[in-house]
Amino acid sequence: MPTVHDWINSPLGIVDGLFGKTQHERSFFFWFFQVPSLNDVPLHYLKPNSLVKFRCMVQDMFDPEFFMGVYEMNDPTSNSKQVKCGKYKDITEGGVDFNSRNTVTSERQTFYCVPIPGESQWNSFAGTSQARVVPSTSYVPNRHKRSYEEDDEMDTQPQQMKDESHGNIEPKRQETEAPSHDSSPSHCTSSLDLNFPLPGEKGPACLVKVYEDWDSFKLNDMLEVFGILSVDPALSVIADEREASSLLDPTEGMETVEEQKVHSPPASLVPRLHMLYAQPLVHNNPLLPSSVSENNGNYLSSVLGELASIRAELLTYLTHVLLGDSLAAEYLILHLISNVYSRQDVLPLGKFTLNLSGCPHSSPFTEHLYKVIQQLVPSSYRLCMSLHNMNNQRMVPRKDYTANRLLSGTLQLANNTSLFLDETQLEQGQLDATGVRNITALGNLISWQKVDYDFNYHQMEFSCNINVLITSEGRSLLPSDCQVHLRPTLNPPNLEEYLSAVQVAQVPSQLNKYRIYLSVARAVNYTISDEITKAVEEDFVEMRKDDPQSMSAEDLHRLLDVARLLSLSHGQNTLSRDGWMKAKQLEALRISRTPQQKCVNGNEP
Amino acid sequence: ITKMDLMEQGANPNAGQTIKDELAGKCQKLFQAFLEEFQNSDGEVKYLRDAEELIRPERNTLVVSFTDLEGFNQELATAIQEEFYRLYPFLCRAVRNFARDHGEVPISKEFYVAFQDLPTRHKIRELTVVKVGSLVRISGQVVRTHPVHPELVSGTFLCLDCQGVIKDVEQQFKYTQPSICRNPVCNNRRRFLLDTNKSKFIDFQKVRVQETQAELPRGSIPRSLEVILRAEAVESAQAGDKCDFIGSLIVVPDVSQLSTPGVRAESSSRTAGVQGYENEGLRGLKALGVRELSYKLAFLACHVAPTNPRFGGKEIRDEEQSAESIKKQMTVQEWEKVFEMSQDKNLYHNLCTSLFPTIHGNDEVKRGILLMLFGGVPKTTMEGTSLRGDINVCVVGDPSTAKSQFLKHVEEFSPRAVYTSGKASSAAGLTAAVVRDEESHEFVIEAGALMLADNGVCCIDEFDKMEMRDQVAIHEAMEQQTISITKAGVKATLNARTSILAAANPVGGRYDRSKSLKQNINLTAPIMSRFDLFFILVDDCNEVTDYAIARRIVDLHSRIENSVERVYSLDEIRRYLLFARQFKPKISKESEEFIVEQYKRLRQRDGSGVTKSAWRITVRQLESLIRLSESMARMHCCDEVQPKHVKEAFRLLNKSIIRVETPDINLDQEEEEAMEEEEDDNQMNGHDAPNGVNGDVNGEVNGHEHTNGINGHGVNGESAKPSLRLSFAEYKRISNLLVLHLRRAEEAEDETALTKSEVVNWYLKEIESEIDSEMELINKKAMIEKIIYRLVHYDYILIELTQSGLKGSAESSGTESQEKDVTLVCFAYIVLSCFVKCCQSVMSM
Repeated sequence: MPTVHDWINSPLGIVDGLFGKTQHERSFFFWFFQVPSLNDVPLHYLKPNSLVKFRCMVQDMFDPEFFMGVYEMNDPTSNSKQVKCGKYKDITEGGVDFNSRNTVTSERQTFYCVPIPGESQWNSFAGTSQARVVPSTSYVPNRHKRSYEEDDEMDTQPQQMKDESHGNIEPKRQETEAPSHDSSPSHCTSSLDLNFPLPGEKGPACLVKVYEDWDSFKLNDMLEVFGILSVDPALSVIADEREASSLLDPTEGMETVEEQKVHSPPASLVPRLHMLYAQPLVHNNPLLPSSVSENNGNYLSSVLGELASIRAELLTYLTHVLLGDSLAAEYLILHLISNVYSRQDVLPLGKFTLNLSGCPHSSPFTEHLYKVIQQLVPSSYRLCMSLHNMNNQRMVPRKDYTANRLLSGTLQLANNTSLFLDETQLEQGQLDATGVRNITALGNLISWQKVDYDFNYHQMEFSCNINVLITSEGRSLLPSDCQVHLRPTLNPPNLEEYLSAVQVAQVPSQLNKYRIYLSVARAVNYTISDEITKAVEEDFVEMRKDDPQSMSAEDLHRLLDVARLLSLSHGQNTLSRDGWMKAKQLEALRISRTPQQKCVNGNEP
Repeated sequence: ITKMDLMEQGANPNAGQTIKDELAGKCQKLFQAFLEEFQNSDGEVKYLRDAEELIRPERNTLVVSFTDLEGFNQELATAIQEEFYRLYPFLCRAVRNFARDHGEVPISKEFYVAFQDLPTRHKIRELTVVKVGSLVRISGQVVRTHPVHPELVSGTFLCLDCQGVIKDVEQQFKYTQPSICRNPVCNNRRRFLLDTNKSKFIDFQKVRVQETQAELPRGSIPRSLEVILRAEAVESAQAGDKCDFIGSLIVVPDVSQLSTPGVRAESSSRTAGVQGYENEGLRGLKALGVRELSYKLAFLACHVAPTNPRFGGKEIRDEEQSAESIKKQMTVQEWEKVFEMSQDKNLYHNLCTSLFPTIHGNDEVKRGILLMLFGGVPKTTMEGTSLRGDINVCVVGDPSTAKSQFLKHVEEFSPRAVYTSGKASSAAGLTAAVVRDEESHEFVIEAGALMLADNGVCCIDEFDKMEMRDQVAIHEAMEQQTISITKAGVKATLNARTSILAAANPVGGRYDRSKSLKQNINLTAPIMSRFDLFFILVDDCNEVTDYAIARRIVDLHSRIENSVERVYSLDEIRRYLLFARQFKPKISKESEEFIVEQYKRLRQRDGSGVTKSAWRITVRQLESLIRLSESMARMHCCDEVQPKHVKEAFRLLNKSIIRVETPDINLDQEEEEAMEEEEDDNQMNGHDAPNGVNGDVNGEVNGHEHTNGINGHGVNGESAKPSLRLSFAEYKRISNLLVLHLRRAEEAEDETALTKSEVVNWYLKEIESEIDSEMELINKKAMIEKIIYRLVHYDYILIELTQSGLKGSAESSGTESQEKDVTLVCFAYIVLSCFVKCCQSVMSM
């Protein structure tokens, strides 16, 4: 029986061993937590052909390839033949008998995977805490440094490895500071564009080879892949040779140079990962068991116990952050736990785009607010809607037919990523064609939770599930489900100092509670009883009777969304009469705040 | 299984090199026999003429219908289908022999065979290992084409050592030198020179195809595949085309390694060649035997044709298609479904509800959009002017009245639809733009939304937000169905044969009933007149519809699983639409007269100023009427436009051209409605709703305006008995008067309420001064009675009380209540202002 160490250090040996016995692969069992993660351990600390895991998002899907699933080798020393399994590896050494009758051609699929875009710093650290016991690497993670220092666990960790990493590796893997959030159009500093959706992202990209059931994976899926790492330098050499030979005879190479660059990049930059097993991730919050929705019974009940108190604390915290506005804080909580839970035809249900208006222009407020949110959610991205960004950033992914790949854009995000749109950064000026397209794409994202990827000859819709928060001075130019006008009750003399102080006051254990709370509340199943359904219907008709202008079908939609999220935030899985009334009160309070400017020059709300 | 056997059999290299491929030889003979013998229905040898054509120097490929082959020899067809790659050289040889037998062709000329009409078709996703080497048909969108260049098929080499000539070294995707000089005393293995003059070349082109959207599983990136085109197949596909490719899947590199054994077995020289290459290529890591285990796939296509429209390839209405050809392309079940649909009595209604399952009510809008999808028949006049068949629809409405949802649904449903927002798109975005290519600095024309939707639907949200000059820009597209651009030295006229479905917000944010349609929307008159139909969605309060809305919405939110129910699936509707659109209905004599009559009526009404239309009735409305009637006939798969089609078309058109805000009150209406109900009983008019006609949610132009023209009454009996009509303002004035009087009476004397006759008498007394003759008095009396009747039965302002007490207004029959002298009271809670409001809302519905 192979041990854990064997699995991690030489999985291929085990595969071969199993193959020798049974002549076909078996299902494998893993000791998840001890497997080193590509997300946290730099590539050069990992042994080639060892077992690794990779928490990632499927960014692109390449065309399938055929390979020799079973092949025969001539052993020149003993002059005997050996049947070998061709799975989970890219290359073989020694003479392959191409005419062997034992050769079996199989098919596999390649996915281009990148780390989950916008993963928060706290997220990656929490994930590695258990991986440190790996005996074969003495590495202590020190990656993913963002533009600002955070008072978190990480600063206590030694940075001993920093100097070692300079020798033989590319600038890509150096621990340079990412440029701050003003995003430049070039996504990557290296000559090879690794195609990360968000600017300034780092971390390995991987070619994940999938051996079975590949149609069950979708683009932008979050996965935790367990597989065998293939980084043999020979791969690049073979690619070079092919390139050279294709120049000799154009009919020979099926790929152009651009395609080769993308599809066979140097393994040192883009390692191959042969998938043994992949766990689809419902969320990427490392503080929770990976599949909350499935076995939520025990876990949820344990969390729900102190839910009320955590909610109250979080509300207080957010109220402080929002300068004493508890209503805005309430809505912010609802926004943070929102989730597209179903689609009815074209209509996404459960989305709750919040427009926080009344944010001061050009002040550190929005930046700090984003930092607070970043600390609370597993992945997020702040998009400054400056004219420059709108006109220059590639937001919508586009198919590049020359290189035959999907060029990523900032809107290619995994489920439940918090997208923070900062409209306070917008100034007057001219939007060019790209800018108009980007604004349209943002609008479609908010209204339909869909992004139309550009395939040149046609557009293709990809559903998404992104939590959009817009901060603006007046009402946002983008549509939103709900607008809350910020009404500060505090006026600290030094805003920056105040906001930093509020943030620092939260101890990590407290933050972890919030993080768990937000993920759990989102995962609660929710129903509405027939009795309440009836009551709601009657209530709607009654409200319309009083004043039809005040209550449209759209308003009912929103009210039901608010009621749902409010119930969830209290850990209730069904709507109560009380919950409905509370939701109505909350909405009434919110509407009373926003001046009725709904129909200015015919703009829809 | 046969494949595996063959693989194994051929995998033995020794056997492969010596044994001649017997099966292949046999197939060659059989195939040649097929070419010699197969006759078409006229008894001619079908492929003889084609073979004779091959004498021409530019020709080299004989196209053979696979269906013919199947009919001739099923076994041969099966063998070819399964072992295509292996048999291909032999089939080509059969063609060569055939051509040589029937014409003077040069000995050295090579011939090729191409198959068409392969019945089964595979998705690109279905091309797995087992498909390698067999004849399959795939369809895909061409996304990239490479230039055509010559490919060496058979090389003649000169040995640089002994100057010996080595002929006919076969090549396969790889430059292959002879492994060793054939001169027994010369041991040269490396130094050869290709004699290009004596070698044979073939045209060669690589294109890349991509999975079509219809085949793509949701959430996946479309697969792509390299396709190799040779001989006459080159240059037959352009980037952007959707094409069918017939050929076989092969693997590269090392074609010989995985190809079917027959090929390799037959040509020993090639096998040797490959080995020679391997030897020659020894360097670097390969010397150590390090090699990759993977292969690339490619598709070797012998025949290319535009994609069959059933798979969403070709345009939804291609002129070359006919109903018959569409039918042929459907499976039996699909055709049966289409037939069943065409027989459906409730088709109109069922299609509407199936298309928009999540939108409540708004039946008229749904009907209008449905007719837009069917479209009218495009025509060309004798002078060469083309008249569009596309129907343009505009939906104007208050915010949050499901306008965008309509557009989104159409975009989702229609194969060639583009959704865009007027606010977000400049003229360039909608029509076309000249842009400078960043890399080449060349100017190129970038297609706008209208062009992208050519032969489809262009959904434009927030149409009114478009700048005025942009509106002008699409003006041309709407009527001429082309777009011309002259910019940066580029002048082009591009097709934009598209229907436009636009949504617009009223100027003030909400629709103002006191103003005309034109005043309500920010569109120029020329643009407005290009729309065949206008629909107005108004957010109105009404308890019944409110309940329906509430139920619908709460339902959506409380149920996790999909609660959308459809009579027909979207695919079924798409197929039906495709089929029905092939009809080009002609207008019957009877319908023609009917149309003329309706048009005349509209013109007269317009001229006399009795009814105020949104705009003057011009010949455009006549065109619209014809288009809508044709579309209606198409929907029923009729070759002829019948009066009933015109009737519905007229009804829809009428709704959109009558001034919605103050419709005339037709007091004879209930009789007409009864008649109408009889006439089109399968058309749901919303009569099941308790309050009759205004059962629609957002109160679009609906309900009472079943104007006289449509029904039998209007046609034959109008001169005899003119229907009682009065303007809305007049009606409102009189009803206010009545209500005021009643309320005053109620306040004054609580016990004795007024009877109907008392009210009538009071009213007549009030207007005494205006009445001159007895005739007029009778008329006025009749009118006031009708008004009261309407107030009771339609607007529910008044309640009739008989001796027995409160009488339900909804179930009372007209005759009964008119005969007895009933007591009239106002609804207690209705105050005057509210009445006016309600009245307005009911009127406009």
